[in-house]
Amino acid sequence: MATKRINLDLPSVENRELRLGTIISWNGTTGDLLKESDYEGRSEKNAGKGGCCGKKGEGCKLCELNLPFTQQTMCCHAIIETQVSNITDCVLVEHSPIGCSARLPRINITYNQTLARRGKAPQTIRVLSTNLKENDMVFGATAKLKKTIREAYERYSPKAIFVALACTTAIIGEDIVSTSSELQDELGIPVIPLECEGFRSKHWSTGFDIAQHAVLRSIVKKKPEKKQKDLINIFALYGSDYFTPLLKPLGLRVNYIIDGADYDEIAQSSEAAATTTFCHTLGSYFATVLEEKFGVPQIHAPMPYGFKGTDEWLRAVARVTGKEDVVEEYIKSEHERVLPKINELREKLKGLKGYVATGSAYAHAVISVLRELGIQIDGSLVFHHDPVYDSGDPNENSLKHINDTYGEIPDYTVSKTQQFQLFGLLKRVQPDFIVIRHNAIAPVAIRMGIPSLPVGDEHMTVGYDGMIRLGEAILEILSRKKFGKALKEHVKLPYTDWWLSQDDPFIIAKHPEIIDEAPDKFTAKKKKRSVKKNG
Amino acid sequence: MAENKKKKSSSITHARYGCAIGAVNTVNAIKHAIPIANCGPGCADKQFITLSFSNGFQGADYAGGGAVPSVNTGENEIVFGGSKKLDSTLKSAFKIMDGDLFVVLTGCAPSLIGDDVGAIVRKYKNEGYPVVFADAAGFRGNNLIGHESVVNAIIEQYIGDVKTEKTKGLVNLWADVPYFDTNWKGNYSELKRILEGAGLKVNVLFGTDSEGVKSWKKIPKAQFNLVVSPWVGLSTAELLEEKYGQPYLHIPVVPVGEKETTAFIRKVVEFAGIDNKKAEKFIAKETADYYYYYEHISEFISEYWFGLPARFLIAADAQTTLGISKFLTDQIGLIPAKVIISDNTPQKYRDAIAEEFKNISDDTSIDVQFIEDGYTIEKEFDEADFGFGKPLFLATSWDLDVVRKHNGLFVPIGTPNNFEVVLNRTYYGYRGALTLLEKIYSEVVRG
Repeated sequence: MATKRINLDLPSVENRELRLGTIISWNGTTGDLLKESDYEGRSEKNAGKGGCCGKKGEGCKLCELNLPFTQQTMCCHAIIETQVSNITDCVLVEHSPIGCSARLPRINITYNQTLARRGKAPQTIRVLSTNLKENDMVFGATAKLKKTIREAYERYSPKAIFVALACTTAIIGEDIVSTSSELQDELGIPVIPLECEGFRSKHWSTGFDIAQHAVLRSIVKKKPEKKQKDLINIFALYGSDYFTPLLKPLGLRVNYIIDGADYDEIAQSSEAAATTTFCHTLGSYFATVLEEKFGVPQIHAPMPYGFKGTDEWLRAVARVTGKEDVVEEYIKSEHERVLPKINELREKLKGLKGYVATGSAYAHAVISVLRELGIQIDGSLVFHHDPVYDSGDPNENSLKHINDTYGEIPDYTVSKTQQFQLFGLLKRVQPDFIVIRHNAIAPVAIRMGIPSLPVGDEHMTVGYDGMIRLGEAILEILSRKKFGKALKEHVKLPYTDWWLSQDDPFIIAKHPEIIDEAPDKFTAKKKKRSVKKNG
Repeated sequence: MAENKKKKSSSITHARYGCAIGAVNTVNAIKHAIPIANCGPGCADKQFITLSFSNGFQGADYAGGGAVPSVNTGENEIVFGGSKKLDSTLKSAFKIMDGDLFVVLTGCAPSLIGDDVGAIVRKYKNEGYPVVFADAAGFRGNNLIGHESVVNAIIEQYIGDVKTEKTKGLVNLWADVPYFDTNWKGNYSELKRILEGAGLKVNVLFGTDSEGVKSWKKIPKAQFNLVVSPWVGLSTAELLEEKYGQPYLHIPVVPVGEKETTAFIRKVVEFAGIDNKKAEKFIAKETADYYYYYEHISEFISEYWFGLPARFLIAADAQTTLGISKFLTDQIGLIPAKVIISDNTPQKYRDAIAEEFKNISDDTSIDVQFIEDGYTIEKEFDEADFGFGKPLFLATSWDLDVVRKHNGLFVPIGTPNNFEVVLNRTYYGYRGALTLLEKIYSEVVRG
């Protein structure tokens, strides 16, 4: 449906904010966000059919709160690192000063965990930096880039080499597209440019799209000679192989893309029977391009979480793969299998209140599972919000799925790991625990005495067993309250009393003048007394 | 030919340091100081990974990690300039962040587009806010260069021109780079303990043994500056000499073990010109304690049947590599098989450091190599002469493949370190050396 926005002839994908209307700063109810997002209208517009209630230009823009103050978060360059450096027989060349490579030690942990989870041999990631210096900023660094690409080829004999642009090299105008093309001819393997400079997009998730666009253009087989009718592409990150037990009873095999895969596994994705994902934020672009340009159907269904989501997802998979005859019996037997245990967990988790702070669609997934377990969700936070996904298919509207299935969430926030906002949000909701991904969030929660469950294995929540796994994990982390309590009593947060006394973490966006009026301990002048009223 | 070879190795795989903006962590190490990252949205976050998370999981401190206020330079700022956003970030930070000192670190993108950071910072400084700015563009140098840039900026802009009486026996301690040295917290504590034991008053600028900005304000009062590091901190000592007329004592070898620590104390006491009675009494007690434990490990070292390491291979920053190599070579009697400094030591300091290694012990001389590229370091390790026994690798988590290949013993000693959670630990001084021995020989018995 969103064909207009997809063009594999171009070296780069359009930013997520332009393609999907992504926002990073918002607060309200899920019901309101759903209305403002106008998924269907936006989908029609993207398909070139007018849409957005006939509004043009700005009319389609989702209202966003503009914060005058922000904290460090993450960039799309870091995201492409998590993707293409984790292909086992390819190499990444980063065309940048050395600091752009500083996330790699952590990525190496997740990479090796992924390999272990998928039964592959451990391997230290292979990423070369051109290590640019001041002179390179003045005189350009294309010669260094060429040399480094050749080094990568000689050292590792990779199947493909990715080349990542960064802030500096974008500003000084390094042409990585031409250089890559030149080296591709010279070396005889794909040399794939990634225009992923950190300042490029307001949200890091554009990095996923950049990596996906690149592998779709350069690695995925354009004209596959055969079809693998039992192969399902799972667009994933580092998660354990919980999709195999879910799909094997239907006689299906999984093909995990991109992390932990090798070149051939990615190449064969156009031979698969269908594509699906554990998270629409991540898989939206890849699955849609495979559907529209390669003829591999996408599973148009809610994501496989909770009873309802998993049921519908399995049915959709069965429809595409011709397994409709067995799927209902399978679903029924699975319900019967897990229900006693889930009921037991529901009893133990009764009365608990949870808070979810993760990537956008994945938060919807976790919320589904927590609600199935009977846990109350009065508030949650996502790091961005996509008002529509690339397919434009209403079945992928995951916000609508949770809002309609499990009820409205009154205090729903979009905030790009802005730690200073979290204190006020948690104070309002008062959860018993918080489920997180990404760094920067949990340290505030634990200092407030709230234990956190970091979901490092994002597949833990998938399917019927996902409800059991998450329920058990929550029971375990509740015990950590003791640690949080001691911390709360002895450790101070780095925020002023004035800020911590604010009830609305978006007050500085709504009323920026409040900053001028706020007290500080350095200047003893011009303070108005009206400040606290806003608090 | 030589020139050609040099050019070839300018790329880096498996980096062992971050870039200059990593010095946000230096600011975090100053009690209640707040860094302001004037850079892209992910720059300081990345450095936090190499310097703190994947380096002993040291934590984000008071206002580090995700708490660091940041301009998050985006496309708009690249096109129209970032001054406006820096201004609003700073203005808000003074109200939202509870800090005593604010340090603006300017990274690559704003440096390239030429924002006038100084003008904005001076505006707030004139209004009475304690704020300074430092150049921290990643293309200008690594996190060690960034660290010196931040320290010197605070001295120049926050402490400023002060005329004050000097306090006899008060010393400013310039040793580890916070966070970059995985053990920095414990190291500062042990150095302070030793120097106080010797009768000095120690002004620590980082971590829990410091009083934050109060300690920094006290810098001009010190009788002298003590630089315990091969090169980091020398530019600061020179600046302080020029600014406040303070002499400095440079001790390139960090003291590890009784022999080096006792010599260290005597050197400092002599330089300070204080009475040495207290110091000698302290040395006597510490030495007795030290050899009490030494005796207890002697049985193990002399008759452990199941294989002890004889040769060691080390790659880390100059400070760690020199200090640990000296201890193992000169006091324990391990044989250096490969010694590599990976911190991109500035050229002007390299000869003096190489000289230290040449004279590392009366029967041993080391040809130290300066290599930054992890691929080359791992290759050098791979091709080393391993002799008969099990090799001991003192290196980083990047080096695990080569350690596995040679069935070696592994003690993480450099950045990055994904294999340990480090809180309060030191390998320095009398006590730290014993901890290091425990660590090394526990690896031996673990097999």
